[in-house]
Amino acid sequence: MVAVKKGDTVVAVGTRKGLFLFSSRDRKTWSSKGPYFEGTTIRHALLDPTDGRTVYAGITSEHWGATVARTKDFGGTWKEGKEGPRFSKESGLSVTRIWQLQPGVDRGLYAGVEPAGIFRSEDEGETWTSLEGLNAFPGRDKWDPGNGGLCLHTILPYPKDPKRMLVGISAAGVFATNDRGKSWRMYDAGIRAYGKQEVFEREDLSSCVHKMVRDPRDPAIVYQQNHAGMHRRRRGDPQWQIIEAGLPRSKSTGGTFGFPLAAHPHDAGTVYAVPLVGDYNRVTADGKMAVYRTTDGGKRWQKLTKGLPQKDAWFTVLRDGMRTDGGDPAGVYVGTTTGQLYHSRDEGDSWQLLAEFLPQIQSVEAGIVGGA
Amino acid sequence: MTEGVARIHVSVPYALREFTRGEDLVDVEAETLAQAIAGLASRYPGLGYRILDDQGRLRRYVNAYVNDDPVSHMDPHDVRLRRGDTVTILPSVAGG
Repeated sequence: MVAVKKGDTVVAVGTRKGLFLFSSRDRKTWSSKGPYFEGTTIRHALLDPTDGRTVYAGITSEHWGATVARTKDFGGTWKEGKEGPRFSKESGLSVTRIWQLQPGVDRGLYAGVEPAGIFRSEDEGETWTSLEGLNAFPGRDKWDPGNGGLCLHTILPYPKDPKRMLVGISAAGVFATNDRGKSWRMYDAGIRAYGKQEVFEREDLSSCVHKMVRDPRDPAIVYQQNHAGMHRRRRGDPQWQIIEAGLPRSKSTGGTFGFPLAAHPHDAGTVYAVPLVGDYNRVTADGKMAVYRTTDGGKRWQKLTKGLPQKDAWFTVLRDGMRTDGGDPAGVYVGTTTGQLYHSRDEGDSWQLLAEFLPQIQSVEAGIVGGA
Repeated sequence: MTEGVARIHVSVPYALREFTRGEDLVDVEAETLAQAIAGLASRYPGLGYRILDDQGRLRRYVNAYVNDDPVSHMDPHDVRLRRGDTVTILPSVAGG
């Protein structure tokens, strides 16, 4: 990789076979390096926004366990934790995969794992503490796995209060804490019941959350791509609201089916989604790739296709397969299960191919070196 | 060597030799498979984590043999070793 400098855009692409890093000064000409951690699955890697220099990678070896590594020179040298997060002896559980990494509001690093659990590190991933309030949540033995496994895949700290946080577990639902993770409550009222137009009227009914993001301007507003549809909820609302005007709907679930969601870095109410045919056929509809964008908090969604393949495009975009960078105008990045990485320099209005023939893309994260 | 504790040999698979600085055969003193892996972990930090899960069992896709006998199905504490035994750690033939 060409030496990365402050102000450059870096895109970390986690794949079934290692991690790739892309960098660019102008988001037109890109250089790449990798794969790192060859042969292992990188379900998530990110550029830590708190320093704009540390890249964390969650490494899952199906044989040798799951650990977290970090680099502070964009892949020049990596430091990997000697051990990964561990469940307690009392739990009888064992960590098999790392699904999500998320810096805390008050420093620290969270990891979401499979089987569903959350851990926190105060030393950049060397050692981990189990958040037992969730990891030993009463009734977890009744949680059902989604197609990808019983995974904790989304961690949303609340930027204005480090004690508050939401997490998403497939297919157990959304969980909220107000006390740094000591205690948790379910947060699923209003989610569409599968295949129906009724919604859950209780918070404690398990739903299959696929991805959540906070609104870029008002973090009390959260958007959720659920197995059964697209939703939004502001803290204090009695329940989630369905927001699908302009989005395609699946014949099976009755709502919009898809996995990823990405929030604009600056603009209130601007969020991106990639709907798929449905849970019975998890591919882009009609062999045409489309990204949908709302700029008004979900009142209306707009289909974006300029530069995206419009024939013979049969793939999935996984739950962490789309992100924005911190640029202005914002860059948007989408990675496919068939190894293409598309990006937009104009907030999704038009798209270009950044890379192809990568292994199956598990995650995409983008950021600006040294902070925006 | 402590009297009564057997010196055994551990064959380390290619993927884990980054921990053993390239050594493919390591000698440790152990009377059980659990002790052998603990011996490896104490000499090569991080290596034990790659072999055993959070509950001290062999990871799902890790196989172990004592000489030619498969022992992956056993609790590592219950696998007895004798002087001169060779423990082989292998990744299972799985994946894609």
